[in-house]
Formats: sequence, structure tokens, C-alpha cells
Amino acid sequence: MMTQIEALLASKGIYFLTLLLLVLALYGIIVSKNYMKKLICMNVMQVAVIFFFLCFAQKDSGTIPVALHRIVHAADYINPLPHGLMLTAIVVSLGTTGVGLALLTRIKEKYGSIEEEDIIEGEKKFR
Amino acid sequence: MKNLPAYIVLLPLCSALLSLALSKIHRHLGRDVVFCALTGSLILSVLQLRQVIAEGPIHYVFGGYTIPYGIEFSIDTINAVIVVMVCLLGVLSCMFAFNFDTKGDAVQVGGAYTMHALLVLGMVGMTMTGDVFNLYVFLEITSLTAYCLIAMGGSRGVVSAFRYLLVGTVAATFYLLGVGILYSVTGTLNMADMAKCLAAGNNDSAMLMAMLLLIVSFGIKMAQFPFHGWQPSAYTHANTGARPLIAGAMGKIPAYAMFRYLYCIYGPGFKYFRFILLVIGILSVCGMIYGSVRAMAQRDIRKVLAYSSVAQISYISLGFAIGTPLALAGSFLHMVGHAFMKGGLFFAAGAISWKYGTFDLNDFGRIYKKMPWTAGLLTVGALSMIGIPPTVGFFSKWYLAFGAAESHQYVYIFVLVLSSLLNAIYFFKLIEKVFVQGEKNKRELHPNTSLEVPMSMMIPVVICILVILLLGVFNVKLVDILLISLKGVAL
Amino acid sequence: MKKVLPLILILVCLGAAFWSFDFLPEIGDAGSKPNTHTTDYYIEHATTETNSPNMVTSVIVDYRAFDTMYETTVMFIAGVAALLILSSSPNRKNRIRTHHVRKNREHRGAPVYRTVNKEVVITIVKPLILLYAIYVLFHGEVSLGGGFQAGALMGMTYILDAMVIPEREGFRLSKENSAALGGVGTFIYVLTGILCMVGGGVFLEYKKLPLPVEVLEKHSVGMLLVEIGVAICVMATIITILNAIMERVHFDDDTN
Repeated sequence: MMTQIEALLASKGIYFLTLLLLVLALYGIIVSKNYMKKLICMNVMQVAVIFFFLCFAQKDSGTIPVALHRIVHAADYINPLPHGLMLTAIVVSLGTTGVGLALLTRIKEKYGSIEEEDIIEGEKKFR
Repeated sequence: MKNLPAYIVLLPLCSALLSLALSKIHRHLGRDVVFCALTGSLILSVLQLRQVIAEGPIHYVFGGYTIPYGIEFSIDTINAVIVVMVCLLGVLSCMFAFNFDTKGDAVQVGGAYTMHALLVLGMVGMTMTGDVFNLYVFLEITSLTAYCLIAMGGSRGVVSAFRYLLVGTVAATFYLLGVGILYSVTGTLNMADMAKCLAAGNNDSAMLMAMLLLIVSFGIKMAQFPFHGWQPSAYTHANTGARPLIAGAMGKIPAYAMFRYLYCIYGPGFKYFRFILLVIGILSVCGMIYGSVRAMAQRDIRKVLAYSSVAQISYISLGFAIGTPLALAGSFLHMVGHAFMKGGLFFAAGAISWKYGTFDLNDFGRIYKKMPWTAGLLTVGALSMIGIPPTVGFFSKWYLAFGAAESHQYVYIFVLVLSSLLNAIYFFKLIEKVFVQGEKNKRELHPNTSLEVPMSMMIPVVICILVILLLGVFNVKLVDILLISLKGVAL
Repeated sequence: MKKVLPLILILVCLGAAFWSFDFLPEIGDAGSKPNTHTTDYYIEHATTETNSPNMVTSVIVDYRAFDTMYETTVMFIAGVAALLILSSSPNRKNRIRTHHVRKNREHRGAPVYRTVNKEVVITIVKPLILLYAIYVLFHGEVSLGGGFQAGALMGMTYILDAMVIPEREGFRLSKENSAALGGVGTFIYVLTGILCMVGGGVFLEYKKLPLPVEVLEKHSVGMLLVEIGVAICVMATIITILNAIMERVHFDDDTN
């Protein structure tokens, strides 16, 4: 029994950790009342998906995908595609966070607070 | 013209990138360049539609590599039609926005049109792409520009945009997760190749999980019923110039992407296909009733139209849930028609607010005397929403009902009729306000105009009326075009 | 109740995750689908087809260059969006204020960093960072590195200069210029693709670049142009966001 669990954790345990990170972030987005905290949770969620993708790229006995010789064998190098894709995802998450922070600056200026209740209260004052 | 699909996305992109630099030379130069580029891509997209009808689907691979390795644009008749719709609406709303940029410095004017062009670009790209990860990038371009355009509508807009940003990023993350699961069982990112791999392997549980994630993600993006929370305030408080484009076209493109996943990648061979269709059907039925009921209670015309969008997007997904070729054709007809109905109603609302500065339904009394064309558009749009025969709304609902009857799902027909009746209640209220209710003393913000509104607002209004009527009259032709591609994929 | 519902959701998700272990590939399994189906082609042909030993670079700026173009556009959008959102400000009397200014701030003595002469340190460090950025940019296709990293480093030099010694006159970009520069940077990328179309190929088909060099060299040149465009865009975007935020934020950390 124990060896089975160990084998499972060794082969797939990291997916569990990644998904734990994802749902924790989701929980944070739903529960926290502070918009800044929501933004941070959003960021954590994106990082979780980036980890999830990088899990596929791993190969036992593979090295970084920079060719050492002219003739290469696919088994010697880890998968470059998820790394390339996640570079895009990182940039996207950077962009989203930047826009979110700019929006928060405006919200703070107008409503004087970034707590959800204060903002809902403040929204009633303006058309 | 072998590079035709590339030109359609490149023209708005180049104009958007240079718009800010050009705005430094003259305040309106960037805007004019964006307008010309959007017009150019409209013309090219019409050419592309003709080419697709004449010669069959186009497959354009960037970089000239073989298919699963490079990124592909695959265009059949359905997405060629949708691209024409997006481009036309983009040009019209760009023209409409000319009237709202009088204040603001060069950066604000140039930047707003940059965002406008990039929103059109993102939607066009999402429609044409044949690569699941490329779809994600375009989805993010669409959402980031939409956040910005919503935030430019004032301080309420900023809060709506922030809420949309949180929810929209959750949607994008779920999409990426779904793609990750599909990638982990197929190892490819190309849609056609993925469909082949999924059909060959035995991955039902992985596919089911990915599909549920994708439904949540596209549901959020298209404001399907339980995920619609961000939508009403975002549509209400968005920038007035961009609102027709955001409300008219932005919800439709994720719906099309969902169709792509459901019918082109998964296909009816998928073990849980019926179950997925049932889930979508239940969500659509709830959404149709809920949206109509909520819309009845509103007084602000923007809120009425926003809640009505929640109901109307459900008609489209209802067509996907029925799944016969005619029902799918009906839902695409509704997609195209509704873009112009909702876009047109927002054009009319924007024109009224430009002239009188109000969005309140109670201020609309006998507005037809002052603004006959705008009132005409309000009437035609409202009649089309309800589904009165010569307009496109009637025919799309007709095809949906016909498809439902074909597959013996009579509950859907009942809900369709019920929702149409609810629509009739609040849209007749709107028509009553426009024609019957007593006139109020309203101060004109822009008194000295030769027409009722300037030419650049007049053209979108007239074109929307024409499109709604013409699509209704020539609906058989459009459905025939759609059926060329739908025959192969539908149930 | 409001806190319990999400907890239930989490438990359901985790349960689904356990269930999902079935179909996800094992970590490090060289024979799994994502490690064989398309990847074999990328790894084995990247060097010979694209003339770049770094496979990640060859995937992102050659095989999937179209993605990266829009990724750069996303950067540009982020910069312009921050600029636009922060360019208009609420009317002063229409603001809601909740200021609780703490009167007596504690004095904990002079901060430690005052003991370092920041002007001297930054003058020494800045050219080194710039040099490293340029190395990373031009070395991107041969070994590790690329346009994004180089752009971020260049942007960082500017941030160091502008934030640590704001009073010193030096190279400063206004926010209009930096946003326009970001657009021009991405346009260089697009222009590379358009040049390929001029040479008779499809968009971003580097081997049809109208240049008098051999085919593999064309790939290198194309990648280099693209990376330069990316670097300029990323640098300009970082500067734009900095400019947009620095204009607005007053560091009033004594409000609660």
C-alpha cells in the first residue's frame, strides 16, 4: 500500500500540488474582500497553470533543449514546446497584472479604498 | 492572393501599432489610418468569403511549415461569414466613435483607436485560427483591449473593468488548463490534428474534464447564464464609442470557439457528447428565461440591452445544444443578426445620449419626431429581437425551432416561444416610450446639426437598419452558405 | 456559509484532480504523447531547419513565430492600456476620501542604504547591465536568452536610473514617446514578416527574406530582427508603465 502511494506520488504527485495551488488561488479570489488580494490570487492561479504545463515537458535523462552536436536525438533533450508556450503565458500574465494595477490605482483614487464593501457603497453615490 | 487571410489580420495590427506614433504628428491622423485599415480588412474579408464559397476552405500556414508544426489559419464558410460581420461592425463603430473623442489629448485619442483596432483584430484572429494556443493569445488580446475600453467609460467603468479582469483571467486560466489536458493526451496543438488524435485514442475522461473547463471558460467570456455576473455593468459603463462593438460582437466569438471545440475537435463520436449537449441546453434554457425577466425590471436602456444580451446569447448556445444542421445554421444566423441588432440598438442609444445626454427610458417620449432614423432603428431592432417576420430575428428563431422539432426536443420550442413573449413585453415598452409617451422638455446638447445627428453617426444607423432587414429577406442564401460547412460536422 | 461554499468547491476540485491522475502522463516519461507526437520533429529538425541550436528560441520565433508576434502585441497593449487608464483622473470634488493620517511617525534613524553612495554604484552597474542585455539579445538564438529578457534588462536599467536618482538629468522618455516606441518595436517584428511576403513567401517565412545570403543565414537574420523588435517593445512597455504610474502615485504609506 505504502509503496503504491509512493510510486503514485513520485510519478504524479506534482500534479496534485499544482492543482492544490490552483484551487487555493481560486478560493482566495472568491473569499477575500480586498481587491489587491484578489489580484494577487489571480496571479498565483496563472503561475499554477504555468507549472502544470511545465510538468509535461520533463523527460528522464533529458537535458536543456540547446543542441550540443549537429546530429540530435529527440530522447536526449526535454520538450521545448511547453517552455515556449509558457513564455507567452508569462507575458500575458504580466500584461494582465499591469492593467489590473493601473485599474486599482484609479479605483483607489476615486473611492478612497480598495475594499469591496467600500467600493459598493461608493458606487451608489455616482450615477 | 494567397496571403489573403494574413492581410486581414495584418492591416488592423499595423495601423494599431503605428496609431500612437502617427497621433504625434496630427491628433486625428492615427484615427484616420485605423479607419482606413479597418475598411481595407472589411473589403478583403468580403473577397475571402467569395473565395471560400467558390473554392472551398482555405488553409494558410504561417512560416510555410507542414501542418501540425506551424500555426494555421483555417477558414471555412462559417468563420468567413463571422469575419465579415466583425469587420463590418468594427468599421461602423469606429466611424461612430469619431463623435465621442472631441475631448482628450493626442495620446487618449490615438490610444483609444489603437485599442479599437486591436479588439477587432483579436476577434478576427480568434475566429480564423486553427491552433488552440493561438486562440488563447487572441483571446487575451480581445480581453485586454476590452478591459481598457470598458475602463475608459468613467469611474464606474473602471470598477466594472476590474471585476471583468478578475473573472476574465479565471476564464483564460481555465481555458489554458483545458488546453493543457488536451495537449497531455494528444501532444499537438493544431485543431485538425487534435481532432484526429482524439478520435484515434481512448481518452474519454480526459476529454470530459477538458470540455467542462472549456465550457466554464467560454461561458464566462460569452456571458452565458450562471457566469454572466460581469456582463451587465461592463456593457453599461463601457466607453460610448466602443460599446456597440463590445456588446455586439465580443460575446459571439467565444461562442463560435465553443462550437469549434464541440463539433470540429470533439465531434459526435465523443462518448459523453449527449451529456455535454444536455448541460449546454439546460444552461441556455435558464439563461433565456433569467435574462428576459431581469431585463424587464430595468429603466436604463443600456441595462435593458445588457440583460437582454444574456438571454440572446443563450439562443446561440441553444442551437449548439440541439445540434442538427438547421439548428446550427439558425444559431449562426442569430449570431450574425444579433450582432447588428444589439450593435444597432446601442448605436441608437448612443445617438440619443449624444443628442440629449440621457439613457433613461422615461426620457424617450416621442423621440421619433426629432430623430426619425434613430427611432426607426430602435423599432426595427426591437422588432427583430422579438422576432417579427421581415427581420432576421424571426428567421433565426424559426430555424432553431425547426431544428428542435426535427430532433423532437419540444421543451426547447416551448422555452423559445416563452422567451420571445418575455422579449415582446419589454421591447414593446421601449417602442411605446418612443412613439406614444408624452414628450419631455429635453435640452439638446448639440443643437446646430443639419441632419438629426452628424453623418458619421447617421451611416452606422442606416446600415444597421438595412442589414437587419436584408439578412431577414435573404436569409435562405446565408443559410445555404453556412450549410456548406455545417453538413460535415453537425449531428 | 459564504466561506463554506468555496471550501466545498475546493474539495470537489481536488477530488476531480485525484480522478484526473489517470490520464495525465507520468512525470519524466519520455514516451508520453506530449513528449513524442510533435516534439520529436521540433528537436530533431530545429538545428538543421532554423539554424538555431536553442530549440526554445527556434520554436517561439520560427515555428510558432506568429504566436510570439501577438505576445509582443499583448505587451504593447498592456503598456498602452496602463497609459490610457491612468491618463484621465477623477474630478477632485467627486472623490471619496478616507484618510487617516498618522501624526507621529516613529523615527528609526537614517536608513541603511544612505551609507552606500548610490550615484557611484549605479554609474558602475548600469553599463554592465546594458552590456549583458545586449549579449543576451544577440546570443539568444545560439544559447539561452532572447528578446524578452534583453528588453526587460534594458527596461530595468531605465528604472534604476529613474527611480533611484530621480533628480538627476539624463536620458528620459516621455510617456507619449515610450508608448509610440513600443508600437514601433512591434512593427519591426511585423515588418520582418511582411518582408518575407515581399520576397514571395507566406507571412514570416524567413527563408524567402529578400536578402543576398544563403537560406540558413536568412533564418538567423530573421530571428535577429524579430528579437530586436521584441526587445524594443518590452523595454518601451516597461518604461511606459513606469511613466504612467510614477505620474499618479504619491507614496502616502501613512494612510490606513
